[in-house]
Amino acid sequence: MNPRRFKPWPYLLIAPSLLALGLILGFPVYKLISLSFERYGLAEIIAGKGVFVGLDNFKETFTDPEFWKILERTLLFTLGMVSVSIIVGAWLAHLMVKMHPGIRNVLNGVLILVWAMPQLVSISVWRWLFSFDFSIVTALVNSLGFEMDNHNYFVNTLSGFLIIGGCVAWGALPFITISIYAALTQVPKDLIEAAEIDGANPRQVFRNIILPMLLPVYIILISLSTIWDFQVFSHIWIFLDSRPSAEYYTMAIYAFQKSFGLSEYGKGAAISLIMIFALIGVTGYYLRQMMRMGDE
Amino acid sequence: MKRTSSSIFSNVSGIFAIVLMGFPVYWMVTTSFKPKGDILSTNPTIFPHSFSLSNYVEAITKEGFSKALMNSVIVVFFTVIISLFVALFASIAVARMKFKGKRIYVASILLVQMLPLSALLIPLYLLLSKLNLTDKLAGVVLTYIAFILPFVVWTLRGFLVNIPTELEEAALVDGCTKPQAYRLVLFPLMAPGLVATAIFAFIQAWNEFLLAYILLSSQDKATMPIWLAGFTNRFGTDWGPLMAASTLTAIPVVIFFSLIQDKIATGVTAGAVKG
Repeated sequence: MNPRRFKPWPYLLIAPSLLALGLILGFPVYKLISLSFERYGLAEIIAGKGVFVGLDNFKETFTDPEFWKILERTLLFTLGMVSVSIIVGAWLAHLMVKMHPGIRNVLNGVLILVWAMPQLVSISVWRWLFSFDFSIVTALVNSLGFEMDNHNYFVNTLSGFLIIGGCVAWGALPFITISIYAALTQVPKDLIEAAEIDGANPRQVFRNIILPMLLPVYIILISLSTIWDFQVFSHIWIFLDSRPSAEYYTMAIYAFQKSFGLSEYGKGAAISLIMIFALIGVTGYYLRQMMRMGDE
Repeated sequence: MKRTSSSIFSNVSGIFAIVLMGFPVYWMVTTSFKPKGDILSTNPTIFPHSFSLSNYVEAITKEGFSKALMNSVIVVFFTVIISLFVALFASIAVARMKFKGKRIYVASILLVQMLPLSALLIPLYLLLSKLNLTDKLAGVVLTYIAFILPFVVWTLRGFLVNIPTELEEAALVDGCTKPQAYRLVLFPLMAPGLVATAIFAFIQAWNEFLLAYILLSSQDKATMPIWLAGFTNRFGTDWGPLMAASTLTAIPVVIFFSLIQDKIATGVTAGAVKG
């Protein structure tokens, strides 16, 4: 067996997947980049090709004060949802270790039930919880002595974003909690016992044994949550009846409105591209970590 | 002493979390069984006192239900079968073979997973409309395959890596050819992983909303999530039937999901703790 002989098998095996990814993801990425340098509106759609305008789309985006507001809002919203879901998830997972097995199993079941909820189902249910008419939350608030009948929670953007973020975090929490709990149970018991015999207190055990072993899991979960939460679209879109007002724009909604609402596809593409680069910057570490695993 | 107080705190927090996390689901199911008068009440009761199937009847007889169900089944079926087939080949190459460019391939698989879907909507829409695939289920299936594929390849690779190579090597020593070794030794061992991954792909395709929303415009092409979004119109929302429809949409996912959730959770973390 000559190890230097060219072996076609691996390439044949990955070819179909490369073809699918190239056509449906690779080409659109290329197209997104080229679109971002073009003026591409209704006239250009009919003509079938855009007009090259250099960096105009980026220039206009970066000089638009609206853009910076939206970027800041998106980052804040993402940061809020990621930190709340990771902190609550981690806290719950660590408590689960000490819980009565019965309570733990019920909690596990509830988490799996929530995890399984399709996105559109969870959005629908949350809209019902906070609906304008006859919502249970309004009734509960009323029963505490407030007068809130027919309160529209989305007139105030803060309460609107809290509800939307709550719905996103509710949907994300099960995955985070169960993943951390699963990782916690994989920490070898004898390692902890050995440390305890050597006189380590619970805090030292946590800091020197449990935390280092869980660190990769936390990094993966934080990165994934960031990717997911940064591009939240459907929640905002549907909570606000498919026509969110400008105060509710996040990057994803902004790019969508620019292209499908105003037919300025070039500008929408530029915004999308900025979004992708922002995400790659934030989650670069995750990628490197995963690549190391792929090498094994 | 310390131990019991911390476990009491854990248990109380656990019960609190059960109530808080479970309430939306509970409220969905109980609302779906309430008669109209109980739903449209300014004094909703936490525990239902009457029971009615009228919301379910209304949801199922609502325009487009059977069509949406059919469309979703078609989309899910083809997405799962094709993506699993394609990914199985690729995962064998990644997990079992050494080849030039593997690093780049793995990197691109992972990079693609990080692509925000909403950022690619514009070129995807333009591409598919050029290929005459907008407003066609085939176009949706094609995009779903591409978006699910990286995860499926990565997960299958995870399952494969955990099967010791010695088993195949033993088969090779016993005179099997490599394809035979894969077919007779590797695939049977992989079966649970394949099933779990298939279910995961099923759930993704069944739940997806955004791409279908952009790509499908006519009503008779709607999938289940699109149909659900259609309960709200300019006159408001019919909450009872919507909760019934939501419950119906969630049931298949809950059933399948409960079968595989332990595999998915450990799948995410297993490699990480080990690596």
